[in-house]
Amino acid sequence: MDVLRLWYLTIKNFKSMIRDKAQLLWLFGYPLIFVLLYRFTFEDGVFDIMAPGILIAGPTILIMQLATHFAEEKELGTLQRLVTTPVSRSTILLSGLLSQLIVGAIQIIIFMILELLLGVSPQNTAFISLLFFIPFLVTFSSLGFGLLLASVVKNAGSAGGIAWFIILPLQFLGGVVTNPPFLPFLPTALAVDSLRSVMEGIITFEAVGLKLIYIVIWGIGLSLLGILLFQRKTAIL
Amino acid sequence: MLPRNQKNVFCMELAIETNNIKKYFDDIHAVDGIDLKIVKGSLCGILGPNGAGKTTTIRMLSTVLSPTSGDISVLGFDVKKEAREIKKRIGVCPQELVIYPRLTARENIHIIAQMHLMAKKDYKERTDELLGKMNLLERADSTVKGFSGGMKRRLNVLMAVVHEPELLFFDEPTAGLDPQARRVVWDFIRDFQEKGSTIILTTHSMEEADDLSDELIIIDRGKIIAQGTSDELKGKLGEGDIIEFRVKEIDKRNEIIERAKSLDYVQWGKEVGKHRIVINALDGLKRISEIMDVLEVKMEDMKIRKNTLEDVFLDLTGRRLRD
Repeated sequence: MDVLRLWYLTIKNFKSMIRDKAQLLWLFGYPLIFVLLYRFTFEDGVFDIMAPGILIAGPTILIMQLATHFAEEKELGTLQRLVTTPVSRSTILLSGLLSQLIVGAIQIIIFMILELLLGVSPQNTAFISLLFFIPFLVTFSSLGFGLLLASVVKNAGSAGGIAWFIILPLQFLGGVVTNPPFLPFLPTALAVDSLRSVMEGIITFEAVGLKLIYIVIWGIGLSLLGILLFQRKTAIL
Repeated sequence: MLPRNQKNVFCMELAIETNNIKKYFDDIHAVDGIDLKIVKGSLCGILGPNGAGKTTTIRMLSTVLSPTSGDISVLGFDVKKEAREIKKRIGVCPQELVIYPRLTARENIHIIAQMHLMAKKDYKERTDELLGKMNLLERADSTVKGFSGGMKRRLNVLMAVVHEPELLFFDEPTAGLDPQARRVVWDFIRDFQEKGSTIILTTHSMEEADDLSDELIIIDRGKIIAQGTSDELKGKLGEGDIIEFRVKEIDKRNEIIERAKSLDYVQWGKEVGKHRIVINALDGLKRISEIMDVLEVKMEDMKIRKNTLEDVFLDLTGRRLRD
């Protein structure tokens, strides 16, 4: 029965999101401006080199979106109102995560299409789905970071601001906007490296598979940590 | 709506029963040993100043908070073990305006109905009916962000009742409303009680508590300090009139009160705030000139009235509800 409640809550989250102009701008405007700036402010070669990093930009921004969403629910008291209805706490949490995962997926698709339209051409098109799949795996790490942040901030404004202290290091140290990555163990760096291999047509376990395992470990670890902390901070005392 | 609880026939008449419930937040004893027995179908007002423990009590009864100790039975179900069963049968109108600002009024009500898995046809009809009753139907499809405070407050109430709960918690439901809107909410609450719902209402408005409640519980500093009907509580203060006045000689207030008490028809006297004195005198209105002569003090800003719940609280605690 909670599947139905999950559906209703996810729809509710989407309605709230699409009626917020700032969020809509992030959803569609951010990928567009990011890709266009990279393509037209640097020489052709730079765009090709940075193409894998650009695909990971979307998932990193998700940290801010998710933290803002949950911090707003905390701030408005709507979580507490829902807790007085028969819906389970895990369904409430899952609905927030699900709606953000879908937003993340849409952003990745926009980034992907823009890159392909602007001339990025992977060597082995048989594995083109990995260009979506790898960034999508990174979104789970972002959800974890977002929940951790939402647990400790008091309102959506703080969440939006503080999120950049996580996003920027992940982008700059993790190879999203620089090459090579400064900290190769970060989930963003692992994803950029594996995406680069995919684009160069090197699809081996060492070049892609192993890194995907690490990305999954990051995702599971951060998500669990985020869920536990958020539930603890917002739990019935 | 779910059928009424058939679980324990011995509890049929009680909607809520608590045994010595306590809620501590570190060193703060928000609720400190409360025993409640609230009969099904009644409207029970919980009256007390800010910080008295009213909201914490409501949160424990409505399964949002777990008590530090003590037992709570709501509609025959144990709060700790059977919270979900309770949630299916209760409605909560929180003190804060807890609404989704980017959803419409209709969508805000629908989401609560959906959490109770009401049939779509039923909740759509019911939502329109409720919005009409609260004069919100014209704005039903507007996002709530642009609503006035009063409209949001009314919507806050509607979200608690859409699923026709057996037990309703209203935590300060009319805070910040103008007198006209307050009357609309009061009528709405009365309608619910007439339909058989049990209602728990917290307020620090004496008028609201007096006007709506079958039974009143006065809470202060986490404890119940009085319980009974409004008339019973006011009756405890005696039949006299309340004479309240301000004096300039604040250091002589004790002396003035003692002088008043020397009159055999003065039942009690108390200092209030920094400058005021309140005395209770039988036939005080008729005897006011005599009282003024005896007190030998210039009585400023004098009021003579019947007992109110405020006087009950003053008598019990030496403070006003809003102090």
